Amino acid sequence: MFKKFSAEEVSAQNQVKASVQRKIRQSIADEYPGLEPVLDDLLPKKSPLIVAKCQNHLNLVLVNNVPLFFNIRDGPYMPTLRLLHQYPNIMKKLQVDRGAIKFVLSGANIMCPGLTSPGGSLDEEVGAETPVAIMAEGKQHALAIGFTKMSAKDIKAINKGIGVDNMHYLNDGLWKMERLE
Amino acid sequence: MAEKPQPVRVLYCAVCSLPAEYCEFGPDLEKCKPWLIQNTPDLYPDLAEELNSREADKVGEQLQSTGISSPASSAPKAEEVKHLPGGKIKKKDKKEVVIEKVVRNKRKCITTVKGLELFGVKLSDASKKLGKKFATGASVVKGPTEKEQIDVQGDISYDIVEFITDTWPDVPETAIFFIEDGKKVPAV
Repeated sequence: MFKKFSAEEVSAQNQVKASVQRKIRQSIADEYPGLEPVLDDLLPKKSPLIVAKCQNHLNLVLVNNVPLFFNIRDGPYMPTLRLLHQYPNIMKKLQVDRGAIKFVLSGANIMCPGLTSPGGSLDEEVGAETPVAIMAEGKQHALAIGFTKMSAKDIKAINKGIGVDNMHYLNDGLWKMERLE
Repeated sequence: MAEKPQPVRVLYCAVCSLPAEYCEFGPDLEKCKPWLIQNTPDLYPDLAEELNSREADKVGEQLQSTGISSPASSAPKAEEVKHLPGGKIKKKDKKEVVIEKVVRNKRKCITTVKGLELFGVKLSDASKKLGKKFATGASVVKGPTEKEQIDVQGDISYDIVEFITDTWPDVPETAIFFIEDGKKVPAV
């Protein structure tokens, strides 16, 4: 999704109303309970929250010009990888085997076999259509953020086709955009 | 979960910006190698060995051919290698003036000029001059992210290039860009 992404795709960025800001905070807090203690540091109540609208109904949540979260249409907010690296335990994790890393890092969606093979691992509780962190065999940090297409159980049972949509991965356009002016 | 989870500090490669452990899948492992060896010798033990053996070979060769003592000859070599990859990643902030036409009301529009301040132009003066020249309203507006730009009423995108280059000779024509359909188009 962010394979080709640059500041030019940002069509408008606005400082949002306090009420919208509260709503965003609330939905992030609901989505990632683990983030709650540090949410005040991440999204300080005082400092302005800026929402950048981009093409394809994509929104970026910026604080001090740093992109922290993104969402599509009215979908769930997902952290950027830089943020996830700092707080790795906020999301459910799925792990892919070593062979898949190369493809994931060039933007491929995550196929079921990569998750079910010996190198991969699944969190049984993951349902369909939830944001997840994609980890990799033998690596410490997440390499992508995905959006599950089917539940973990289905992934195991069907074991074919796309299991997780790749939303944001290392070295894609959003990763390279450390700051947005 | 603890009271306040501390942010994990992840080691990012200075060359390709990925976390160091993903360098091997990065765009160019060769370029990252010198940095990796310096900063995370334990992550890729093979690399260090490889380099050591190579360096040893080199030093040995040099010793044989010229007879210079080994530490003196190997030190500048290492520095040279470090420089090359570092210089490439950091893009310089380009100085440019970006002109955009925003349609406001079917046949009315606003021309926004961004980036004049990068050339040492005082924005308030500039907006006054623009307003005078085109006989329209022109104002300095704060963009959403603390950046100031000049909004001029009316479509002046064609005359403005000449005006800018005439009034401020510091601004080269090549640094002026239009935004058309979301794409940057050079003015010249």
